[in-house]
Amino acid sequence: MPTAILSQETIDSQITDTAVPALAKLKQAGWEQFQQTPMPKRTMERWRFANLQHVTLEGYSIPAAPSADLQKIILDKSNLLSEISARLVFADGYLIGTDSLPSELAAKGVILAPLSEAAQKHPKLLEKYLLKSGTELGGDKFLALHQAYLSSGYVLYVPKGVEIEKPVVIYNWAVSAGAAIFPHTLIVAEDNARVSVVDFYLSFDETSPALATSAADIHAGAGAGVFRKSVQNWNEASQSYQIDTTHAEQDSTITSVSVNLGAKRARFESAIQINGTAANVRLYGLTVADRDQEFDQRTLQVHNAPGATSDLLYKNALLDQARTIFSGMIRVAPDAQKTDAYQTNRNLLLSPEAEANSLPGLEIEANDVKCSHGATTGQLDTSELFYMLARGIPKETAYELLVFGFFEEIIEKVDNEELAETLRNFVQDKFRRRETKLSVS
Amino acid sequence: MSNTISEHDTDVLADDTTSAAIDIDREKGNFHYKEDYAYDAGIGLSPEVIDYVTKVKGEPEWVREFRHKALKIFESKPLPTHWATRDLETINFDEIRYYLAKGQKPSRTWEEVPDDVKETFERLGIPEQERRFLAGVEAQFDSESAYSRMKEELTKQGVIFVNPTEGLKEHADVFRKYFGKVIPAGDNKFAALNSAVFSGGSFIYVPKGVKVAQPLQAYFRINAENFGQFERTLIIADEGAEVTYMEGCTAPKFETATLHSAVVELVALKGAKIQYITVQNWSNNVFNLVTKRGVAEEGAEIRWIDCNIGSRLTMKYPGVVLKGQHSRGEVISIALASDGQHQDTGAKMIHAASNTTSNIVSKSISVGQGRATYRGQVTIPKAFSHCKNNTECDALLINTNSRTDTYPAITVRGANNSTQHEASVSKVSAEQIFYMQQRGLSEGEAMSLAVNGFINDLVKEFPMEYSVELKRLIELEMEGSVG
Amino acid sequence: MSNTLDIRNLNVSVAERQILKNFSLTVPKGEVHALMGPNGTGKSTLAKALSGHEDYAVISGEALLDGENIIGAEPDAIARAGLFMAFQYPSEIPGVTIANFIRAALVARQPKGAPFDAKAYYARLYEKMDALKMDRKFTSRSVNEGFSGGEKKRCEILQMMMLEPKYAIMDETDSGLDIDALRIVADGVNKMRGPDIGILVITHYQRLLDYIVPDKVHVMYDGKIVRSGDKDLALELEKKGYDWVKEEVAIA
Repeated sequence: MPTAILSQETIDSQITDTAVPALAKLKQAGWEQFQQTPMPKRTMERWRFANLQHVTLEGYSIPAAPSADLQKIILDKSNLLSEISARLVFADGYLIGTDSLPSELAAKGVILAPLSEAAQKHPKLLEKYLLKSGTELGGDKFLALHQAYLSSGYVLYVPKGVEIEKPVVIYNWAVSAGAAIFPHTLIVAEDNARVSVVDFYLSFDETSPALATSAADIHAGAGAGVFRKSVQNWNEASQSYQIDTTHAEQDSTITSVSVNLGAKRARFESAIQINGTAANVRLYGLTVADRDQEFDQRTLQVHNAPGATSDLLYKNALLDQARTIFSGMIRVAPDAQKTDAYQTNRNLLLSPEAEANSLPGLEIEANDVKCSHGATTGQLDTSELFYMLARGIPKETAYELLVFGFFEEIIEKVDNEELAETLRNFVQDKFRRRETKLSVS
Repeated sequence: MSNTISEHDTDVLADDTTSAAIDIDREKGNFHYKEDYAYDAGIGLSPEVIDYVTKVKGEPEWVREFRHKALKIFESKPLPTHWATRDLETINFDEIRYYLAKGQKPSRTWEEVPDDVKETFERLGIPEQERRFLAGVEAQFDSESAYSRMKEELTKQGVIFVNPTEGLKEHADVFRKYFGKVIPAGDNKFAALNSAVFSGGSFIYVPKGVKVAQPLQAYFRINAENFGQFERTLIIADEGAEVTYMEGCTAPKFETATLHSAVVELVALKGAKIQYITVQNWSNNVFNLVTKRGVAEEGAEIRWIDCNIGSRLTMKYPGVVLKGQHSRGEVISIALASDGQHQDTGAKMIHAASNTTSNIVSKSISVGQGRATYRGQVTIPKAFSHCKNNTECDALLINTNSRTDTYPAITVRGANNSTQHEASVSKVSAEQIFYMQQRGLSEGEAMSLAVNGFINDLVKEFPMEYSVELKRLIELEMEGSVG
Repeated sequence: MSNTLDIRNLNVSVAERQILKNFSLTVPKGEVHALMGPNGTGKSTLAKALSGHEDYAVISGEALLDGENIIGAEPDAIARAGLFMAFQYPSEIPGVTIANFIRAALVARQPKGAPFDAKAYYARLYEKMDALKMDRKFTSRSVNEGFSGGEKKRCEILQMMMLEPKYAIMDETDSGLDIDALRIVADGVNKMRGPDIGILVITHYQRLLDYIVPDKVHVMYDGKIVRSGDKDLALELEKKGYDWVKEEVAIA
């Protein structure tokens, strides 16, 4: 069976193998879109400052399922959180483990199902919500590829008024070398429902290169609360493209924490469409970039309805020759009066070669708004450092405390001590792997 | 030579009184005289037009080549509509007249200036200003300067203040060394256009250590319809020199679009200071597409103080290349966008040495359907150390259909540099207006007071003579905006 | 000399301007000295220079902490040697909790690799916080972040109590405090008074000295001490104002 993702035969056989006609049709449309869409160029406004040298779709294929032994090991490793409502584990795009929802939630109509199953059992749900939005942040080529190869992924549906207390946790593992995987997240929280989700994106080893093209559709109905945490920690041989779209209805509350640590090159697009009045959206991002990593973040906060609040805080720490791009846009439509929208990007440069790019944007067409953005790039505060030294804390310790203090503002936003500790460990691992110590300049 | 006043401005003429104040009333420039031009390059742009201009101006061959090369660049570059407004597409470059002049040599006394041209500048108050507080004046009427004069003591100190035609002929060595070096013809489409057809503007050289206390001023006047003005300014402040340059501009309101596309290059050598002040008050049919940039050598300082009130579309992002250690760059910008206007302004700061500092403060006000856009670029591209930038942009939206955009781009490399960017959007609060009304002010008065308060700290940066008028101008604009 | 903080002929400049001029002062353990003087005479410069801040260049002179010269040492080494500075404007350190911060400071004072008794640490921390009437919730808040003026100063005293320095310099600890906060801070300092610590209280106003009664009072002007005396000197100063000192210096 042909597996190279750019080959027509591969996509043909993938579509032929898709049992549900609607899904096959969607994939076909995705492939056509993919073919029509040019690869990004640096002259494109949405790819400004991006280094496209390592952006390539060549050389990746649809992997075979991991062996049973491997699956067992992966399942064992998929235990970062203990207090959970349900768990799905995907490895190279194959569902290898499921901890189902507690029966009382299932009885209330909550659905947690892999995409393939949902396509058969809940076609209306997919028809209404799956990949409806596109992206205007530049990643349309990748989103189209994702759509064409849509297979792994899940649907989480929470009916009206149902509250799920503990998080639903999804593990997406990249395993074999050259694997192309396409994780998809579809969350629908109906009116006044409440749910918390953690998506992990992890590599099985440190060296196998993978191409991960992920996407998420998140819908929060009126008064609903969606708390979504995404933790990307692919190995540094991989490429990552993640395209998230969130819709917020009236009085809904969205909190999103995106932690980006892995991949050689990671592009993260996040668009929030606020369509209902008085919605409350909080967006947090944390990136730790080292070696020659590049993190390319593009965000959009669209206020289409009045009286809503959105607040974004993205923090990036950069080491070695790493690069980051933060490009954020707040767009307030003419009717969205009484909007409160904020956007803050803080870059911490920890090496003389690291480069942070910041493009905080505003497009405001309503006059009765409170909108602001701020972007700072710099180093650790010398007065803070001196204060610590003056308490007898050695330089290296003080430095580390300050750097981790910089992360802490985002880490604590996950509001889950177990997850916070996991994130701290991920970050610490990253620092520990480094050959050179942090130096105080 | 006819001297008839066109129909457009009879009403303006009716209440024209010789004003002692510097007037930058939005309506003040809305009159024009029908002119016979001795030199006219005709309509449209071609290599022949360039040859005509070069011949009329008697320029050396290298200038002719420079112009032709620039024309090719202009033709090859697309309009920058992938980021800029598509309103640019409405400019018809084939219908513009690129060179119009009544004569070649600027007069040294107002008496020698042709009566109608003199009358224009008198109505704009230029001779009056010159008497009161200027060290020198260059007054440009369409393509060429009609009047040019500088105080004698400055001539004695070796200060040069002439138009570029004179500059490139009579001060060729220093002119050629810097001309087109800060802003090469290929910098952008409109810089290329200017490089192809430039005429008028100023060439200033301030010798080592000379500090010019009073400002030098240029006044740019467009009189003809379907005309493009392409002045070119090059200012060189030699080591330790200091100079302040002010420019003002007006044009009558025509039915058709007028194009103004200038290039301004500043060179501040070691320890020099240049301050460049613009009060842009073109009529609402003018496309004002201007490239302004300065290079600051070691310890030098360049400040752009930029106020944009007029034009249909202004695209202007004054920049400073901080080439020498301890150099400083600053852009202070005020933009007022009313109905039918798009003020697309901003700043560029390129840090090309360690220990350089830049500062950007931008305040815009959008009124009615006006649109104000801020574009900024701050770059610390290499691992320099102790480079700092601070940027503040604040936008005020007056009416529900006003619009504002902010598009900064900041690149910082290296752990010992820092940048800080802050932007906010707000409106004048109803409580604030009510409070002032309760004290007896009308809503319009209250609004103009609030708007003046918003830009007050920046207006202070303008010379007194301008700041008073700026405030008055804001009042006039605000009075009609309420409701 | 043991058991004193002995500052000898200290000359210090900031941004190439000399601020301290042959400054000398000895603070023995068991005593509280007050250093007073008009603004800009170099009181805070002394505190920063003794703490080893890199912006304060010591041209000449020495400061012997129990006989060991601390001038030229790194700020953290000076602190571990036993000098504590209560800052006039304590830094806010986002993301670093008070508990972790003080813990890191204590760990740095232990021999390398020695186990840290977390239980005893928290017991002691809570005890000191109770004494300072600080809410225990403060332990999980970031250092000084979003604290009121009074809370910041209380946090300084808490750190001082936890770190048990040999000498403490209180740099205008009273500035920006209301009377209640002032009293709590003074109580904290008074609790610490004893034979094992020497304290130098830097203040502009006499009012703090109503609560922390000093053994000696020094008046500083133009980079050096121009008068020393007992606590009555502070009262005299309060009555006559600093112009009195300036005039005296001018006459001399």
